[in-house]
Amino acid sequence: MSSSPARPTRVGIIANPASGRDIRRLTSRASVFPNAEKASMIVRAIAGLQAAGVNEVLLMPDKGSISPLVYRALDLKGPSTEGQGVRFLDMTISETIEDTLTATAAMRDAGVTAIIVLGGDGTHRAVSLRSGQIPLLALSTGTNNAFPEMREATVAGLATGLIATGAVPGSAGVRRNKVLRVQCDGRDDIALVDACFTGHEYIGSRAVWDSAVVEDLFVTFAAADGIGLSAIAGQLEPVSRTAQHGLHVRCAPVGDTPRRVHAAIAPGLVAEVGVREYSHLVPHEPVLLTGRRGTIALDGEREIEYDSGSRIEVKLDPNGPATIDVAATLTYAAQHRLMRGYVGDAT
Amino acid sequence: MTSPLNREALLQAYRTMRIIRDFEERVHVDFATGEIPGFVHLYAGEEASATGICMHLNRKDYIASTHRGHGHCIAKGVDPVGMMAEIWGKATGTCKGKGGSMHIADLEVGMLGANGIVGGGGPLICGTALASKVRGENNVGVCFFGDGASNQGTIFEAMNLASVWKLPVIFVAENNGYAEATSSNFSVAVDNIADRASAFGMPGVIVDGFDFFAVYEAAGEAIKRAREGHGPTLLEVKLSRYYGHFEGDQQTYRAPGEVQKLRETKDCLMQFAKRVTSRGELTMADIEAIDAEVKAMIDASVVKAKADPLPAPSELMTDVYVSY
Repeated sequence: MSSSPARPTRVGIIANPASGRDIRRLTSRASVFPNAEKASMIVRAIAGLQAAGVNEVLLMPDKGSISPLVYRALDLKGPSTEGQGVRFLDMTISETIEDTLTATAAMRDAGVTAIIVLGGDGTHRAVSLRSGQIPLLALSTGTNNAFPEMREATVAGLATGLIATGAVPGSAGVRRNKVLRVQCDGRDDIALVDACFTGHEYIGSRAVWDSAVVEDLFVTFAAADGIGLSAIAGQLEPVSRTAQHGLHVRCAPVGDTPRRVHAAIAPGLVAEVGVREYSHLVPHEPVLLTGRRGTIALDGEREIEYDSGSRIEVKLDPNGPATIDVAATLTYAAQHRLMRGYVGDAT
Repeated sequence: MTSPLNREALLQAYRTMRIIRDFEERVHVDFATGEIPGFVHLYAGEEASATGICMHLNRKDYIASTHRGHGHCIAKGVDPVGMMAEIWGKATGTCKGKGGSMHIADLEVGMLGANGIVGGGGPLICGTALASKVRGENNVGVCFFGDGASNQGTIFEAMNLASVWKLPVIFVAENNGYAEATSSNFSVAVDNIADRASAFGMPGVIVDGFDFFAVYEAAGEAIKRAREGHGPTLLEVKLSRYYGHFEGDQQTYRAPGEVQKLRETKDCLMQFAKRVTSRGELTMADIEAIDAEVKAMIDASVVKAKADPLPAPSELMTDVYVSY
């Protein structure tokens, strides 16, 4: 490996201590992802980052879920860990989504060149609201996610470090993702995977697990082997992450339409969904929805309540957050011998 | 999916939460005069939890409560007028003035009792749930407990038993952040009480205890699951109490302004009223009518409690022991 660059390279890590504990543990077979494992993933990711030449790692603090385990595992000394290469952000902790938003903004302001995110689709959505052009390494901490991947954190850290230090150019290892931009009565929001219009009247416990309440489903991509609401679209017409278009599925009660699809909408939950029609979602072409009442779930969680008079617009934007392609990054590293070393003069 | 709430249900939800709030605010004021005997632990701030859960229950479903039990009692259908008399130690009280705040029980409505023993409700509720199961009935049991009780062996044993026997029990951990004066961040070994569910082979869910609708929905799914024979659930309701552990607690362990900020930004009654009126499901006139009706009812309950007689000395040994 090359030596560390003269200019310090900073990378942020955000791990959501609350991910994987919503009502889907009750309504499906979704598992609980232990925070001890998230801490272990952070430690392993840091090993990869440091091996790739990252000088400083900034971590989002929490109220004792993950951070003490990281402190202990890394043998960090005292509240200030300056000089040890790993530092927790000094921020007020609210134990809400605000923590993720605040930490992402602080990392951006601190000049991080990449952020590793441990969480589900919702956590990645929150980070994307503040991360701007900073490439993300999306790591899944659960069984119910479409946007992040299940990956060994050491390898993920290595790939992130190679991108963050510039050893691998972004053109080789960073890809741009699509995003859904949702406007509702003046509120702007995004979804990385799916925006689902449901018959739920309240945000309530947030998750969507009953396919009967799904009315309109918009997806940026839809894997045929995916999990979650996007799996409905994935079984109608798979859409890759790199395809130009998305998909808009208009659902219907199963008894009202001859067209049905079976999809794994949650772990352990394969649902039959009635489909009225589906069509490609063309970039930048808004779809208007009016005249109904319900909630909009963004990446699987109800976020917006709307009324029959609400004006709602959904638009596919190809310029969403950038993510690091681990396989492409490490393949580039291999092809360019970035990870090789020799004893003596072997050039 | 949990049934949508119609107008009548929304009115009921608000009315129940308002009764609990006004009841507790009034006890807070009156206890300071020194006229109320015994100890009281107030539930103000936590109304959405008891209400959102108990709205799914019928009179044959049982609940086991805690030392902070007034809200559970009211939500389960215990008469607040009788409760007020009970707290004042009067013969007209729910338990003839002999139980006081921490022992209010009314088996007629499925209220097993407030309980001064921290973590004492778990084994009791397993008993009612087992009885229901053996009898082939469709009733469920709800055990309320706090973050302090979540560390007690009785709760662990009860969760294990309920899981092994697949009992229709919902364990509700009302995590208000403090076991007396000790922060749950310090005393609970896991970051979320709900995480302990997996150790007992049951689902564990976290829900926002300031949001009635979130509690109502999650509880509905857990109770439906229990009624259908799929066994117990652990619900962790994250909330906060507005008053001290007990009345008189100086709360030096809380940050200045902590409660005031919660009252102004997250209060469950405030959130509920704002949401249903902004959506046109209820009007401000509906809300204000309930506020006025409840205030009058609580005021009257205090007047009555003060005027009611104390238990007669001859009643000293009655209702104390039960012969089986």
